Amino acid sequence: MSFANVSTHYISEKVSRVRWLPEELQQSERFVTGSWDMDQNFVRLWRLLSNQYATATDSDVDQIPRCMDKVRMEDDVTAMEFVDKDTLAVSCADGHLSVFNVHRAVEEDQMQRTSRSGLLHCFQRSQEPAPCTDLSTYGTDIATAGEDGCVSIVSVENVRQVKRQIEADSMALFSICYISQQELVTANRMGVIRVLDGRVATEAQPKTTFMVASQDDKSNFVSSLAKHPMQHHILLCGSEEGSITVWDMRNLSYPASYLSAHKSPINEIGFHQKDPSKLFTAAEGGEVWMWSENKVLGSDYTKDGHSPWLSGDRVRSLVDVEGVLSNIRKSINSFDVHGSRLVCGGDTEAVYLVDNIV
Amino acid sequence: MSETGVFAFELGDELATRCGNTLTGVFVPGSRIALSAYRHVTHSSRDAPTETAGQDPVLIYMAQESTLFDEPVLRSVLAEANATFATLQQLGSRATRAEYVNISRAYRSIVRSCLEKLEQAKKSPEVQTDEARLQRLSDAIVVFYAAECLWHLFEILYIQSNQLVVPQLLDWARFHSPLAEDRATDLLLMGEEASESDDYWSIVRSLIMLGEIDITRALLSQNRKAGQTSFKAAEQILKSMPVYQEGYALQKFHSQWEFWHVDTERKIQSGLFATEPELEQLLRLVAGDNEQWDDGIKESQDFFEYLPGYLLFTKPTCKPFELKIAAAHWLNRWCLLQPEKKQCAMNRMVSQLMDHDLKIFIYDAQKLNDTHWFSTHLIDLIHHCGQLKSYFDQNNIDLPALRHSMIYEYGSYLMTSHNMWQLGIDYLDCCKQEGQAAIELLLPRITLRSERQATKLINLARQRGLISVEREICKVLSKRSYDNERYGNALEWAIRSKDVLLVTAVADFILKHYSKTGCMLCPDTIANVGGRMFASPRLVFLSKYFEFYEFYRNRDFLSASELLVNLLESKITPDYFWPSLLIDSMPLLESKDPKIFAKETVAILHHIETDLVPIIERNVSKYGKHHSETVFKDYRVENVDEILNLLRLACARNLARALIIENTMPVV
Repeated sequence: MSFANVSTHYISEKVSRVRWLPEELQQSERFVTGSWDMDQNFVRLWRLLSNQYATATDSDVDQIPRCMDKVRMEDDVTAMEFVDKDTLAVSCADGHLSVFNVHRAVEEDQMQRTSRSGLLHCFQRSQEPAPCTDLSTYGTDIATAGEDGCVSIVSVENVRQVKRQIEADSMALFSICYISQQELVTANRMGVIRVLDGRVATEAQPKTTFMVASQDDKSNFVSSLAKHPMQHHILLCGSEEGSITVWDMRNLSYPASYLSAHKSPINEIGFHQKDPSKLFTAAEGGEVWMWSENKVLGSDYTKDGHSPWLSGDRVRSLVDVEGVLSNIRKSINSFDVHGSRLVCGGDTEAVYLVDNIV
Repeated sequence: MSETGVFAFELGDELATRCGNTLTGVFVPGSRIALSAYRHVTHSSRDAPTETAGQDPVLIYMAQESTLFDEPVLRSVLAEANATFATLQQLGSRATRAEYVNISRAYRSIVRSCLEKLEQAKKSPEVQTDEARLQRLSDAIVVFYAAECLWHLFEILYIQSNQLVVPQLLDWARFHSPLAEDRATDLLLMGEEASESDDYWSIVRSLIMLGEIDITRALLSQNRKAGQTSFKAAEQILKSMPVYQEGYALQKFHSQWEFWHVDTERKIQSGLFATEPELEQLLRLVAGDNEQWDDGIKESQDFFEYLPGYLLFTKPTCKPFELKIAAAHWLNRWCLLQPEKKQCAMNRMVSQLMDHDLKIFIYDAQKLNDTHWFSTHLIDLIHHCGQLKSYFDQNNIDLPALRHSMIYEYGSYLMTSHNMWQLGIDYLDCCKQEGQAAIELLLPRITLRSERQATKLINLARQRGLISVEREICKVLSKRSYDNERYGNALEWAIRSKDVLLVTAVADFILKHYSKTGCMLCPDTIANVGGRMFASPRLVFLSKYFEFYEFYRNRDFLSASELLVNLLESKITPDYFWPSLLIDSMPLLESKDPKIFAKETVAILHHIETDLVPIIERNVSKYGKHHSETVFKDYRVENVDEILNLLRLACARNLARALIIENTMPVV
């Protein structure tokens, strides 16, 4: 399979996150981007419009994104996630969380900030705001992780009230992910992954920690966590050295599999939400790869609920990898897949649209 | 493209006005100037505080060059050009001409799409209300329009370097004078009505002078009088004009063209078009009548507007070297006919290009107000395609050196402004050692906004093997966390920095804090240090001691005692920690069931006498006997010398007990 249809659109902003707007029955036509490291940072809402010049220039780019609305942010956007169809949670490097409402319209789509939380993350001593680094959602709950090592849980209905604040780590947290309604996993800069319980306070937290695998004894931060959309006990970690470590949450004594993949830190890792046999990784070195379960070889495995991701050393033979984008040379910070379309963006100040991905 | 004069700075704060509004400035990294008030001091001035000292605050102002790229829309030019630049570097200097032409087109398409974005932005309401921004966008449009126009001409003449240039030049001129074509579209849509329109003939004339024969024919055929003989004859002339095609024998074409030309002139002279004066004028233009073209020149904005059209009707097979002469003649005519017009920079640069005067052209290109975007990328392209090598050699221009310095300057500019370091670093990468050195200096100066950004910088440094940069960033972050009392974070950054002294300092702090308060800082970090502990012997000690601490807390006393004895023997115990370590041994020595063997007890006793006692003695000689100030402290005791005896006794008791147990035969 080849991905002939890659189109590049320069948008004059370094992109930190990109997400498709959720659509149930059709291919999503709209996506949001958040920028970072700019003089002014924005969350922008984009919509794909048909390219008027397509016939004139006989190019194969038949859709171009157009910015429909934008909202200025106080600092870098660090993470974005849709809570439901029109509600977007955005975490910001000033330690606050914002909730946006997206309004789909026939002509001009709109987007407003409906609420902004109090300071969720700050450094104890100086009381200066600490960057919020990642967020994860479950139902109406939003959990944010910060550089201060804390995890804050708020409900989307009222983000001004903090439901729980857990001092999870003495080090900066880089990534967070819900694995069930109560349980969260966080990863810090040293590569230590912790399991937290959202119901209890700091003191009563379970002391479950495990370390991401790495090739040598160097620090190896976990930059992104992802759980399998169907089999929730499978947790994947993308790390600084570019490798993927897979954990079976039912057995934490050793990693289920370990794959060395990219040559640079993995910035985002995630499954296709509707087709979990596909996994995607985006790396700092400017690559997006697709990992697909090898149907023929893996058939006897998948039958009894075994995922090839848990098969240890054999995982290489059960999973095929192919490059979706390569040679971008600069970091791809984020991607999102919806249906057969992938959008990704990064420090090249461009978004890339890839059609017919699956 | 304005040639700006010298900017004047004035501070005007109280301090500066007091001493005659004089100022001084220092260049600081990031292309900025720090300005402050200044008073001249000479060897004869008295060395005393001024009478007004301390009255006014000393203010320091940062002046930064404002450039076009303050405008966010223009960032895409930089980002996109960066990608094309990188492609060109990969291509190297051995690619085919077609590939270089493609690169050149890619650059131009970047500028064109940017111009489109600028026009769009200009129309948006938020810009319309912002006077300054509107001005900035208009300036940008002028600059990039000029850049595109010049680049296009350069591409035709020096990168494509076809044998014949007229067809390409026509395209070029049409693109840059689109007004006539726009109007022609309107007229075509009007159909027959068009011929009544006031500007009908002037538009048709412009079209002919731009060489747009097909559109002219279409317009003429729509004329009410199109059925008349004169119009039919004109149509016939225009239709039968020979057009040179690639691969056609030049000689044959010449004779055809000459025949057509003479035939046209004859027809005009025969008075075929006498009834239609406008049409006759038009055909005189086609026949290359100088009088008519002189009128055309008077109407033109820029001298190059109708030059390609003129060439089409007078010298359709013009070669690049012939263009040089033709352009010079044409410029002279233009100047004579429009003496009131000042020669603008654009006209000058176009004529330099046609005149093959690249040396001056490059010099002028650097004056464009685009922070050298145009000149840098163009020179890089010239260098790679290598077609002009002999020209530069003849003119004693060291092209590689010129390219090198341009790229270096441009890269440094990007590295230091507008968060464009990711783009700038690519340019500096092409500059060998100087570039490497510049990266080494500039990379650590980028403001660290978050740890994620820091990891990106570290990644860039690591790719280039700049270990010192990586270390520096880690050290800064370690210090920052330390000041914020986030010791776990500080420790991890210190370990990443691989700086033994820094790791030792942080570990020391944690140990001292523990011996003072009995509270272990950041246990979660220390517990996970693992193999990284070998960054410093002090960290090894800290990790091992922490292990002991955990055993002890979990009441695993046997493992704890074994570890403690190992620690005592390890020779990495810092002096200040001896009391704490030995006090830790006391409960183990005194416990009900013996945990430490006789041999180990002797070792402990040995350490008390050889390590702890000298420290106490040194301490006493330094501070006096009952001084509360000591080099070491432990939270469990007030005065360390008091516990000496207790320790000795505990050792003696345990030794006695252990000796008896060890030497008793088990009763079977």
